[in-house]
Amino acid sequence: MTEVVYNIPISLFSGYRGKNVIVRSYDPVEMVMGLSDYDLDHLVAVQLLSMTGNVDVLTNWGNGIPIDLLMLHPQTEFPFLYRYAKLLDRHPLRVCIPVVSGFSKAVKVATSLKLFVKLEIGQPDPSLIDEIHRVLNFYIHNPMVALPIEYFHSTFLAMYHSEQSSLWDVQEENPVNIRYVTEDGRETIARRLGTDRAEGNFDTFVADWQSSMIAEKTECYDCRYFRHCGSYFKWPRKTYRCEGVKSLFGTLEEAAQEMQGEITVLTQAQKGVA
Amino acid sequence: MFGRHFSVILLPTNKCNVACDYCFEDKTDDFMSIEMLDEIIEKLLDHMDRKDVAALTIYWQGGEVMMLPPAWFERANDLIARKAASRSRIVEHSLQSNMIGYSGKWNRLIREMFGNSVGTSMDFPNLYRRARNRSPAEYTNIWNRNVREARDSGIQIGVIAIPNNETLRLGAERFYSYFVDELHITDFQVNTSFSGGEACDAKLQSILDLHGLSKFVVDLAHIWAERGFRGGVKLGPFDQLLNHFIGDIASLPCIWQQNCADEFVSIDARGYVAQCDCWVTSYPDYWFGNIFAESSFTDLLEKSPARRKFQMRPEKLMTEESCSDCDYLSVCHGGCPVRTYSITGDFFRKDPYCQVYKALFSTMEQIAARVAAERASHTLPVMRVA
Repeated sequence: MTEVVYNIPISLFSGYRGKNVIVRSYDPVEMVMGLSDYDLDHLVAVQLLSMTGNVDVLTNWGNGIPIDLLMLHPQTEFPFLYRYAKLLDRHPLRVCIPVVSGFSKAVKVATSLKLFVKLEIGQPDPSLIDEIHRVLNFYIHNPMVALPIEYFHSTFLAMYHSEQSSLWDVQEENPVNIRYVTEDGRETIARRLGTDRAEGNFDTFVADWQSSMIAEKTECYDCRYFRHCGSYFKWPRKTYRCEGVKSLFGTLEEAAQEMQGEITVLTQAQKGVA
Repeated sequence: MFGRHFSVILLPTNKCNVACDYCFEDKTDDFMSIEMLDEIIEKLLDHMDRKDVAALTIYWQGGEVMMLPPAWFERANDLIARKAASRSRIVEHSLQSNMIGYSGKWNRLIREMFGNSVGTSMDFPNLYRRARNRSPAEYTNIWNRNVREARDSGIQIGVIAIPNNETLRLGAERFYSYFVDELHITDFQVNTSFSGGEACDAKLQSILDLHGLSKFVVDLAHIWAERGFRGGVKLGPFDQLLNHFIGDIASLPCIWQQNCADEFVSIDARGYVAQCDCWVTSYPDYWFGNIFAESSFTDLLEKSPARRKFQMRPEKLMTEESCSDCDYLSVCHGGCPVRTYSITGDFFRKDPYCQVYKALFSTMEQIAARVAAERASHTLPVMRVA
C-alpha cells in the first residue's frame, strides 16, 4: 500500500515528523531555516509559493531535494524563472503553471530552461482551449522540448502503450496518494486552484466521484477518454462541458497513434521486412 | 550562485607581446606574483567550501600568458594542486595563448598542466593580428611556424577564428579550406568580433554586415556538414549546435548560456574581478571589485551591484526584447552581454548578432534533422560530435 504524502505548510512541519511530506512556503529563507538536516529523510519535495524570494539560499542547501515552483501569474512571472535555473545542478526543478490566459509564454521559457512543467489545468475555460492546443502542439512537435510537460506527457505515454491512466494520479491530486493540508490543519484534496475542497472518505473519493458521474450519465458515461481522464475534468463542477478538453485528448491520441505507426515501420525496416 | 562547478578566466598578466589592431583589452604591464596567486587561490577555495562547489576550471589567458616563464606556471601548478588537494577540491586548467612566444621549452608544462592542449587564435585572412611595427603577414608566418612545431610535438591545437569583411568577401569555402586543407587544423571555432575598449578603425570595421555574416555562417555550416562532420573535424559552435538539435549533450559557448553570471568570472593580474576577460580588461565601471581588497570572494560577488546587473539581464530581456517569442530561446537566451554593450552601449538589449544566430540555428536545425533521419535509417553509423 502506498504511503500518503502530505502537502503541508511549513508552520505545521513539526506535527508531521516521520510522515512523507511536501513542505510549502512563500519564503526560501524560511524553508532553509525551518528544515534542519535530520528532518529531510521524509521530505518528498519543497514547494515555493512565491517566485520572488531569495533563491540564492537554495544553491547550497539540500542537494537533490526536488523543488516545485508554484506560479500564480504566469503572464508576468515567467521572466523570474531565470533566477531559478541556476538551481538545476543541485535540485530537480519543476514549475507548476496555472492554465490562465497567457500561460503559454511561461511554458516556453520553462522548457527553454530545461525545467519540468506541470500544468495546473483544473476545469479550463473554453476561451483557453486554443492556447492549450498551441502548448500541446509545442510539446508534441518541438524538438527542443526535452522534459515532460504534464499532464500531456503521462497521458501520451499511456495512450502510446495502450495503458490506462488517471489524471487524478498524473496531476498528483488523488487523495489516496497525496493530501493537501490547509493552514489550519484540515486535510483535503491537493488541487491548488479554486477554493473547492473535498470532504469525506479520501480512500474512495475518486472511485466514488467516477461512479456518481457514470450513474448520472454525464458526458463521462460514454466518453472514450474516460480511461485517461477518470472524471477529472468534471470536478468540482459536474456541469463543466468537456468538448475542449476532449479535443486535447484527441490530439494526444492522434500523436500516440502516429508514433506507434512510425515505430512499427522503423522496427520492421530494421528487421528487413519492410 | 554557481552550481557544483564554476570557472575562472584568470589573467596572470595584463601584458601582451603583440599589438593587434582590433584588441579590446586596455593592456597594462601588470604581472601576478606567485604570492598574489596564492591569495587568489585561497579565496577561491574558501568560496568553493562555502558554496559547496566541487570543481573549478581555470582558463589561463592574458594579456599573453607566455609573457610569464614556464617556471612560473610550474610553481603555480604545484601550488594550486597542493591547495586543492588539501580541500578535496578538483581544479583543472586550460590554456589560451597567441602562440607567438611559444617554443619547445613550454612542451612539458603544456603536457602536465594543460592536458597537452592549447587554444589559440588566427583569422583568415589575417588583417589585424600583428606584432608592434610588424605586418600581419609576419605574424601569420610566426604563428604558422610555432603551431606547426607545437603540433609536431604532439600538442593539440584548437583555433578561434574571427571573420572580418575580407573573410566574408572571400567566402566560407576559402575560409574552411584555409584552416582544414592548408593548415590541417581539425579543431577550430568561429567567433564574432568584440569591439570593446577604445574605438579605432579596425574595431569599427570588425562590426560586420549582418546579412553578409549570416550568409557566411550558413555556407560554412553546409560545408562542414558535407565535408568536416563525418571526417572528424570539430567546428565550434556548429558541432555543439548539431548535438543540441539532435538531442545529444551539447556544450554551447558562453554567449548562449542561460546566464553567464551563474557560470564564471574573470580575475586580472591586479586582482580586479569582472564577468569575463572582455569586461575586466575593457570596462572598469563593470568590475565586481578587487579580490585583494576583500576578505571574502563570496561576499565580493554577492554584494556587487555590477554583478547584480548581469544576473538580471536575461530576465529583463524576456520583457523588453522579443526573446521570449523566439523559437531559439533555449539555445540563445539573448546572447552575449559584452558584445551587446560594446556595440549598442545598452546592457539590457539582446545581442546585435541576433539575426546571424537565428540563421545559423535554423541551418543547424535542418542539418540535425537530416543527420537524425540518417541515423534512424541506419545509413550512417551512430556517432557523437565531441
